[in-house]
Amino acid sequence: MVVRRYTSMAYKNPDDIVFGKAVYPVYERFGVPIGAGFVVPEIKVAPKPGSEKDLETFVKHHKEFTEEILKLCLQLGFNYIMIEQEHVFQQTYNPNYAYETAHAQVELAEKYYNEYGIGVTIRHTIGDIRKAEAEGGLRESDLTKRMFESFEQAAAAGVGDLAIETLGGKEVVDYAVARGDIKGVLFGIGVCGSEDMAWTWPQIVKIANKYGTIPAGDTNCSGANTVMFLAGGLMDREVSHTMAALARAIAGARSLVAVEAGARGPLKDCGYENPIIKAITGVPVCIECTSICACAHIDVMGNLNRAIGDVYSNESVEYHQEFGGSTAEVWTAVTGNAAALSNTALQAKQEKILRDLLTYSDMYRDPQGLILSYPNAYRIGKVITQYGKDPYLRAKYAAIEAGNIILEAAEAKKLKLSRWELETLNKAMETLKALPDDADKFIDDCLKEYANVPYFNPKNYGW
Amino acid sequence: MEGREIGWAMVEGIIAGLKPSVKEEAIDFDKIFVRYNVLEEEKKLGLKPEELVKDIMPKDEPWKTIAYAVFKGDAKTALEETKKALEKFPPKEIVDKGLAPGMHAVSKLYDDGIYYLPQVMLSADAMSAAVQFIEQKVGAGKVEKKGKVVMHVAEGDIHDLGKNLAKVFLVADGWEVIDLGRDVPVDEVVKAVEKHKPVMVTGTALMTTTMTAFPKIAKKLIEKGIKIPFICGGGAVNEDFVNTFELGVIAKKAHQAPKFAEAAKKGISWSDLRAKWHEIAPA
Ligand code: B12
Repeated sequence: MVVRRYTSMAYKNPDDIVFGKAVYPVYERFGVPIGAGFVVPEIKVAPKPGSEKDLETFVKHHKEFTEEILKLCLQLGFNYIMIEQEHVFQQTYNPNYAYETAHAQVELAEKYYNEYGIGVTIRHTIGDIRKAEAEGGLRESDLTKRMFESFEQAAAAGVGDLAIETLGGKEVVDYAVARGDIKGVLFGIGVCGSEDMAWTWPQIVKIANKYGTIPAGDTNCSGANTVMFLAGGLMDREVSHTMAALARAIAGARSLVAVEAGARGPLKDCGYENPIIKAITGVPVCIECTSICACAHIDVMGNLNRAIGDVYSNESVEYHQEFGGSTAEVWTAVTGNAAALSNTALQAKQEKILRDLLTYSDMYRDPQGLILSYPNAYRIGKVITQYGKDPYLRAKYAAIEAGNIILEAAEAKKLKLSRWELETLNKAMETLKALPDDADKFIDDCLKEYANVPYFNPKNYGW
Repeated sequence: MEGREIGWAMVEGIIAGLKPSVKEEAIDFDKIFVRYNVLEEEKKLGLKPEELVKDIMPKDEPWKTIAYAVFKGDAKTALEETKKALEKFPPKEIVDKGLAPGMHAVSKLYDDGIYYLPQVMLSADAMSAAVQFIEQKVGAGKVEKKGKVVMHVAEGDIHDLGKNLAKVFLVADGWEVIDLGRDVPVDEVVKAVEKHKPVMVTGTALMTTTMTAFPKIAKKLIEKGIKIPFICGGGAVNEDFVNTFELGVIAKKAHQAPKFAEAAKKGISWSDLRAKWHEIAPA
């Protein structure tokens, strides 16, 4: 599959990267401008357990919470809202579920837009339900067909944009990360992941274009987020946080492939690598971080990505009641108010001050935050474009650059590293620097080394 | 690095003009957050891991070399030395006197908060390589195991990291694991339990829409008169939920698995395990 490759940066100066503004804004259905001078709040609700039991119950539930969200936006005076539906298995597996839920939500979006002038867009994130071990593997199985069919159906129902979290390479990452093996992480995310996206994404873009909807973006949830989860909090001892930072930089090189294949953003919220990709491509990004998504998960980056995000997301919350209302309402209030603060800064032309405060609040808390702070994300982006034509090389050098950034900050005594974090980083840097610069050689070597990893099958990546 | 502001970083030329709008020097970062991991580690700086496990490690050869190979996660040496030892010693002795003590030492250091997961994984890999070789030579089943455990990830769920971690701890501790994989139908779990007669069965679920398989499994096991502990883990699963069905016992951390198995083998009932897991298998 042919995808274009980035060899230069859309931003010439990192100081220009700021929330609510992108070089290439996106205008979604029903009046929602993204990256055009506003931060748009996003809300995502996971349907109640049991609601998937039949189509009617499922659609009714979607209608109910979508309407609750829209009413709350009116109550609180929000200008815009993005409502994302991250498919549960049944919703992608049964393409008619995708169509009917999308259709119900789009109708409501249109109604509220027409009646009240509030900008509403609906995103459907199709589940990557493919399985490496299924008959036909990632590319030919019945699950693969159903996945693409669900893209069609959601697009046909008129959603504002389409996204996915592809999981190519995940089996290798799962294996490697628990062993502290940076080479396997690089192979899994940087090579297998990129390869799978270069196969998947042109097809997604084609479907989106056919229906005039926006192909938005991908995320390395299956790779770098898995590593981030295992790394956990400061007191966890599963995966070192420096390893998690390197995996994230590699993910920057990998998730870029969506844009190279025609995705236009806003990139998917859980892509913590999005600052790197925004710096390279200038497309707008959805983001999440603990201060607005603690309902879904907790990490050591409390405010960070709000500094550069164009859409602020709660990541996900299961539908139930809280004192403040349903979780759909409560978390709409949270992301909406976070967006309002950033929009105030934009209107007052103080956005760079707020951006830097948000950045500093996390920059030295953890190596992961350090490398994603916008000037450092920019540095990593720069290296990725320098090696832009080769997915393997750019991933490798992205990781090395992230390591350099961490070591510099540690040397300057700004970032305090534990001995374990430093040792694992030094070891990873040694391994990375010793790797060949020839992608074919690296792949051949990895195919041997990881041949017995559970579920890994080179055919899934075209080898 | 003189004259270059770290962090606001600096690839010469490109970012030369970048001046943050907020002055970094004005911020005392210690007043914003504390990296407790760094402080915790400092407390343990004087400790020498090898000293701490000296007493459980063998002193005589060839056991010493084998045990230290496992301890260091050196699969190559573990395998070579095991091959040599197999010419002179019975498999059980190699496992008991060489491989197991090395693994035990690593697990202890992990439990004590000194070692990290990758160290456990590499040691477990080294041990597995050696055990597999022995089994190939003398035939599977000849290497005595502590007992059987059936593991699975709930139907419709592919989140298998937690299960895989727990499996590593079990295998390393000498248990035979029947791993049914991920997205496993209820009946398949029940069948496997009937067939293998394990000391306990485990389930992992990370989605609220998949953990509902657990009570179904428990019910079918009870109908068949099987009353072994059903250890339930995974992000979505909480104690309140697990306590709503018979056999269910909550697991929070993968390293608890061998302790649960040990207790189950001793005949401690699921209800006692449920009541006393804090003491029997602390998280
Ligand atoms: C990594 C991850 C993935 C990876 C999985 C990789 C893998 N091989 O497992 C990928 C990207 C593939 C993935 C896919 C999906 N995911 Co996911 N994922 C996660 C994430 C970020 C972390 C989970 C994790 O691995 N944690 C680390 C492991 C080690 O923890 P653990 O399994 O709980 O195990 C610990 C304990 O529970 C215990 N344990 C577990 N089992 C056992 C067993 C025994 C015997 C013992 C003793 C202990 C024990 O030990 C471990 C600690 O030591 C969570 C976020 C979260 N908040 O949990 C979402 C999450 C679970 N995913 C979610 C969703 C929705 C999905 C998808 C449906 C997304 C989509 N639309 O495609 C798909 C699911 C596909 C499917 N059919 O299953 C939701 C579930 C929401 C819900 N309704 O419940 C979550 C909560 C994210 C969110 N906030 O929305 N995901």
